[in-house]
Amino acid sequence: MKTGERPRAFVRPYRFVAVGSIFAILLGVLTVRLWDLQLVQGQHYRSLAEDNRLLRLPVAADRGIVVDRNGTVLVRNIPGFAVSIVPIDLPKGRETDVAVRIASLIGRDAVDVLKAIADQRVRNPYEPTKISTKPIPREVALLLTERADAYPGVRIDAESIRQYVDGPLYSPLVGYTGPVTEDELAKLREQGYLPTDQIGRTGLEWEYEQYLRGTYGWREIERDASQREIKTLAQTPPKAGGNVVLTIDDRLQKILATELEAGVAKDAFTQGVAVAMNPQNGEILAMVSTPAYDNNVFVKGITQKELDALNKDDRHPLVNKAVGEIYPPGSTFKMVTGLSALTAGTATRNTIVNVTSNVISVSGFNFYDWRAHGTLDFVHGFAHSSDIYFYSLAGGSAMSSVQGVGPEAISKYGHMLGFGQPTGIDLPGEAAGIMPDPAWKEQAIGEAWTIGNTYHEAIGQGYVAVTPLQLVNAYASVANGGTVFVPHLLKEVQDAQGHVTFTKTPEVARKLEMKPEDLRLIREAARTVVTIGHAYMPGLKLPIAGKTGTAEFGSSNGKDSAGRNLLGFHNWFVSFMPKQDNSDPTAEIAMVIFTFNSSKSVCDSCINPAVTMTQKVYEAYLGVDGTKKAQTTP
Amino acid sequence: MSVGGISLQRAASPLHDNPTFRRLDLVDPYLLVATLLLMAYGLVITYSTSYEDLAAGDPIQFIVRGAIFTALGIVTMLAVAYFDYAWFGTFAPVFYLLTIGLLALVLVIGHNVLGGQRWITVAGQKFQVSEFAKIFMIVVLAKYFADRQGRMASPLVLGGALLLLAPAFALVYRQPDLGTSLVFVGIFFGMAYLAGARPWQLASLVAAGLAGFPLIWGILQGYQKARLTAFLDPYADPQGAGWNIIQSLIAIGSGQATGKGLTAGTQSPLGYLPIAESDFVFAGLAEDLGFVGAVILFALFAVLLIATLRIGFRARDPFGTLVAAGVFSMLAFQLVVNIGMAMSLMPVTGIPLPFISHGGSSLLSICMALGLLQSISMRRDASRLR
Repeated sequence: MKTGERPRAFVRPYRFVAVGSIFAILLGVLTVRLWDLQLVQGQHYRSLAEDNRLLRLPVAADRGIVVDRNGTVLVRNIPGFAVSIVPIDLPKGRETDVAVRIASLIGRDAVDVLKAIADQRVRNPYEPTKISTKPIPREVALLLTERADAYPGVRIDAESIRQYVDGPLYSPLVGYTGPVTEDELAKLREQGYLPTDQIGRTGLEWEYEQYLRGTYGWREIERDASQREIKTLAQTPPKAGGNVVLTIDDRLQKILATELEAGVAKDAFTQGVAVAMNPQNGEILAMVSTPAYDNNVFVKGITQKELDALNKDDRHPLVNKAVGEIYPPGSTFKMVTGLSALTAGTATRNTIVNVTSNVISVSGFNFYDWRAHGTLDFVHGFAHSSDIYFYSLAGGSAMSSVQGVGPEAISKYGHMLGFGQPTGIDLPGEAAGIMPDPAWKEQAIGEAWTIGNTYHEAIGQGYVAVTPLQLVNAYASVANGGTVFVPHLLKEVQDAQGHVTFTKTPEVARKLEMKPEDLRLIREAARTVVTIGHAYMPGLKLPIAGKTGTAEFGSSNGKDSAGRNLLGFHNWFVSFMPKQDNSDPTAEIAMVIFTFNSSKSVCDSCINPAVTMTQKVYEAYLGVDGTKKAQTTP
Repeated sequence: MSVGGISLQRAASPLHDNPTFRRLDLVDPYLLVATLLLMAYGLVITYSTSYEDLAAGDPIQFIVRGAIFTALGIVTMLAVAYFDYAWFGTFAPVFYLLTIGLLALVLVIGHNVLGGQRWITVAGQKFQVSEFAKIFMIVVLAKYFADRQGRMASPLVLGGALLLLAPAFALVYRQPDLGTSLVFVGIFFGMAYLAGARPWQLASLVAAGLAGFPLIWGILQGYQKARLTAFLDPYADPQGAGWNIIQSLIAIGSGQATGKGLTAGTQSPLGYLPIAESDFVFAGLAEDLGFVGAVILFALFAVLLIATLRIGFRARDPFGTLVAAGVFSMLAFQLVVNIGMAMSLMPVTGIPLPFISHGGSSLLSICMALGLLQSISMRRDASRLR
């Protein structure tokens, strides 16, 4: 029997064709899909494959350090440890357990840690996410490294942390850094900021972020699916941030801080502020605000309790009181009243006021002086800080023929000297102060200006309020012969190799439209304050000139939040020191010392604590006879 | 043994099937050439995808192993082809019991790999019993349907076939190896249809399966469900169930027209493609050799499968026809599902791609099947039989 002859009922040709056709159709579908994937969308998938394989890893750059004008390090970087979690390496079943234990080790809430892990699982579970918000102690880092099996997915990385060498001494200036927030990151991402970045939060860290911040380097690596690095394909080294050189002289800063802190410790006052500057160029040589805070606590991660304590402290440790708080200037303001009268021409150095009584009545109100001085000319009125002399210059009085220069003129020249507006110093949070005039009172208080307001303003009481920096800057402009500088803390910026990349040049805010002989008269009068007047300095050989100020401000009963007695007075001494004992505009140092809540002491003529401290500071800084070199030039 | 009055001749014993050389001219050349080319292609892909696989250690081991198994496969194919395939039909009950027994044994003593018990060790070599079980079940079902050609209209015949298949299906599913158990389903439907089962009966079975789907769904493990549904939207869980699919799509797409070149692919060597040498081997192939390489693969399979159908069409008896139908169903199902899965057209079910996926058991079992096909082809001319 031939094959062809056999009946082959078991072969069903149509079914074979059907099966073959179904297969052909399926193969066709596969081919079309393949065409779409490889030829239509190929380029898209090619780039996805590259994204898979290639990873650009940032290489952290050191933040610049901060040094004083002589190179003394004020802020440096020290190595620390950070804890990260790679979610893919952390089994879901152990997530809660590990998060709870890690949270207690790094001082965070377990819920926050769990949320951070969950967020990263969504974002990219293969990439580590930093969960420590503050540097962790070496012992914790060691524990986590040694017991890696108990902490799956947990990584310890070295990181660079900020160390503020003298903590509270410079915290009001320097401020601190903190983690960048998500809102900030949205704006800063294109400038190269990363979610793990630290950013200057306040002070010079904030002000000079642009210089201090380094530029990330990048390493392009090939990685496998477990994120293991296979090889480095390319790299760009990081560029360290610029080192900021301040105009500050660390030696003077420490002398001032020691004096102020001793005064606080002795309960002579509760807060102290001091600013020293070079009148010839606006460089700030020292700036102390006490009590301050330890900015190291912020970079290490401040607890809510610590933060609450700082915020509740009514001595405002978080505020740089040299620029951020305003106070009545007291008698130091007589310089403004006097210069206004001299410049407006209503008074001269020979204007006489005959202070026959320590009280003067105007419109039914009594205005007091601290004693009946007798006959005073300008120099002696200033030297003995006669209130009635300056009431008369400002608003006229029965004790003199002088015509009062009036509050508008005082306000005008006050503004010229820099009051009522920020000085423009390179620090955040500067207050404008208040330089009132009748129009201001009408608007701010809704009442008409009175002669009493003029009298109070004349002696720096009432509405006028200044920052310590404004005051010393105004005296500096008198001391240098009429130039108001924009005070500044930045001297220069250097790169990591020490090359200067930016030099701050002195910036003139304005020239005083005043006669040189009037400014000379103020300098002469200010010197007289020390030689024969209100600010006696025993055994003084240095040609210090200055002006005292005392402002009463409310209650002298009760205690402040730190348990200190409220004493009810502020004391000022604002000073400058020409090169020789003359009235030439040669001073290269001007200084203000302000004590808050100090005692007026038992007698009106007693030396205020700021005067004593000022003498000690100048003598410690320059030597009793001025032989030590002031560090005003590099 | 007779069906429809046709006496089925065969050699009196397997060893009396002579002279073999007379039938060499009836060897199917298309099947043979496609087989050898696919084996060679498989070795090339093994070389290409394992060359830079740092995690696997010595890249040469896969190639040497692949070459050894290819040689063993060719020997197996020749050996099987040497005997009259009808003997397989004669011993079908033995094969059946052997299959069920071995599958049960695997569950008891099998090696645990990737959460599944699929392997037993014989003479130091691991064997995946389910791969051979597919071939044996093809033989068993072919024998069953061939013996019942006259009664194919009866639902009882179809029901009996299901009963035959059920233990093997259940044992493989228990391993658990969902993919291979689904291949059994594919084989069943392909063979039943070509054996003459009534379409409405088969359609009823499909409908019953769909109706029972919620029940089956309830039996499935969580990871199985996740894998089955991930292809619908891989990006719903890109780091979990969707990861394999996304990385597979990236590998395939990035191959573009001509591929990145042998060993030049990055997805597989860097570990983005999991099980790149078995389940997702097609992605590695498409990445390295591109559209051109994939279409060449399709063409080779098309030749192989059409040759298989032709052998079935020209077989001397229903048993031969149905063995070819079973082999066709098995290979076509695995091809379409494996590649469809790699291209996110089908659920991920872990079915190897014939010839290309590494795996000695898979290759040897396919070679057995191809040996059977050649045996059927060589003996298609009944007039030459004694």
